[in-house]
Amino acid sequence: MAEPRLLVNVEKRLAGFHLQARLMVEAEILVLFGPSGAGKTTLLNAVAGLTTPDSGEIALDGALLFRKGYPGRSVSVPARKRGMGYVFQAHALFPHMTALENVGYALWREADWRQRALALLERVDLAHLTDRYPDELSGGQQQRVAIARALATNPKVLLLDEPFSALDSAVRERLQNDLRAIQIELGLIVLYVTHRLEDAFALGQRLAVIREGCVEQVGPIEEVFRRPASARVAEVMGVRNLFRVRVADVTPAAAVLDWEGLRLEAPAEALVPGTEVIAYIQPEDIKVLYPDRPVGSAVQANQVDGVVIASQANAGARTLRVELLANGQIVELRFPSYSYAPLGLLPGERVRLSLRKAALAVLSSDEGAHAPTKTDRRSPTSVDSRGI
Amino acid sequence: MSWHAVLLSVQVTAVASCIILVCGLGLGLLLARTSFWGKSVVETAANLPLVLPPSVVGYYLLLLLGRGGPFYEWLGLRLLFTWPAAALASAVVGLPLMIQASRAALASVDPTLEQAARTLGSTETEVLWRVTFPLARRGILAGLLLGAARALGEFGATLMVAGDIPGRTQTLPLAIYDAIQNRQYDLASQMVLLMTGLAFFTLWAVRRIEQPRGRGTANHGEIALLARRG
Repeated sequence: MAEPRLLVNVEKRLAGFHLQARLMVEAEILVLFGPSGAGKTTLLNAVAGLTTPDSGEIALDGALLFRKGYPGRSVSVPARKRGMGYVFQAHALFPHMTALENVGYALWREADWRQRALALLERVDLAHLTDRYPDELSGGQQQRVAIARALATNPKVLLLDEPFSALDSAVRERLQNDLRAIQIELGLIVLYVTHRLEDAFALGQRLAVIREGCVEQVGPIEEVFRRPASARVAEVMGVRNLFRVRVADVTPAAAVLDWEGLRLEAPAEALVPGTEVIAYIQPEDIKVLYPDRPVGSAVQANQVDGVVIASQANAGARTLRVELLANGQIVELRFPSYSYAPLGLLPGERVRLSLRKAALAVLSSDEGAHAPTKTDRRSPTSVDSRGI
Repeated sequence: MSWHAVLLSVQVTAVASCIILVCGLGLGLLLARTSFWGKSVVETAANLPLVLPPSVVGYYLLLLLGRGGPFYEWLGLRLLFTWPAAALASAVVGLPLMIQASRAALASVDPTLEQAARTLGSTETEVLWRVTFPLARRGILAGLLLGAARALGEFGATLMVAGDIPGRTQTLPLAIYDAIQNRQYDLASQMVLLMTGLAFFTLWAVRRIEQPRGRGTANHGEIALLARRG
């Protein structure tokens, strides 16, 4: 890995909140992920120079943008000189300017600002709407103007604060793909703040989990999922049973996935055979099969054997961790504590499970060629009586 | 019609409006964007001319402009009983309306837009001129019109600092007073009609300015009522 291009190490105390963040970013999309109020926006604003941290250092390509409370001269480069594009949550377009004037805002001293702004609008496919005011544009168009505007200063860094959260999923996917293309084309350092897991998967190469002002873990997204550094991270991520699989075959009836030697069936989807994808299943959707009873059709597929390695009961629910014999991976199950009473399910016992085919979801492909989709999942509260 | 008085009123109101625009916008910005120790005292003091009797405002202005006052001693300006004193008195009573309106309009501008401008390379001055003021323009213009209308109608304080010298410091409201004193009721009613028309037009224009999107406006019904005082 090359020398990190953007270094952030800042600390800021607000009422009832303490931000302590350390990040090293390449020319990549780094997703800042965490629940609302975790300090993601504050961190972004500190990088942009819109808030002043109490102490810390921020450096871009070796140039110091901010330093306070560290050995050496204190530095605080104002936001206008940091050369960072910022896309705000509610787009923040200037309502008194047309799309073209918004994009050309930063270029107003240039004689050719019109042509340059137009070229930027063309890049986001909005060259036909130059004279519209923001309130005459759709949400997706507004956000594309905002991206074009942020690129007008030729920034090295692009900061995005939940930019697509107000958009519907089709528009969001399209913009995410556009953003990936722009990042690669311009070699941008992108910090992307979101609290939505789908966004993280659709966009990010790496993920920084932020919780209560602290960066808990940074790493490739699926690694953070598979090996959360702490229970706190696992809790923030919210999703268990996430695994990297290869698409073995796609038939009209099912998508066959290969999970390190274990063949699993998922609902048929437009997947490309041979590609690697991330799949997951909610703990509620893994059923335990009784050895002495007929197996219902809903849990016919994806039967696997495993050994219980941990069992934990709380608040009327029981959580089981089972190591699968076929590939040595661990899955987590959750069910009401009254279920499966005849079975002991104590650690060390062998069990037969079914990963419900209908609930096996594919999150995203690595290349981003396939948009994140979720199969229609039953509500976890409904119990499949035939499986019990 | 006393055309001297009309022209003088126009002149006094124009100069007063300039003072109101600059000072009112500055103070409005200060109050909308900063917090400092004693801010509420400053705010209250800025509104005082709305409620003080004109004679009290006039008295303060006499202290300011007269012998021993800063304008006289430090700046060497002999302003008492000249039309600039009338302009100053008019500006002082019109100023609170402008401060309130521009303050509300400036405070209603989304700070995120200003942040966006900063990330796009704008200095603070550029942010003001290219984002904040344009977005607050309706409120600012409404405040300026109300302030100007109030300045045009100023009577009491003007009388105290500029006197009532026909052709030199006699503005329309003073001319009306004189006409009634001299029982020239026809003359008085002409000027009364003119004043009423101007005031009506101004308030109507303020309504029009504020209506379309209502961005950056305060409760001007209240301010308009206050404007009729004094």
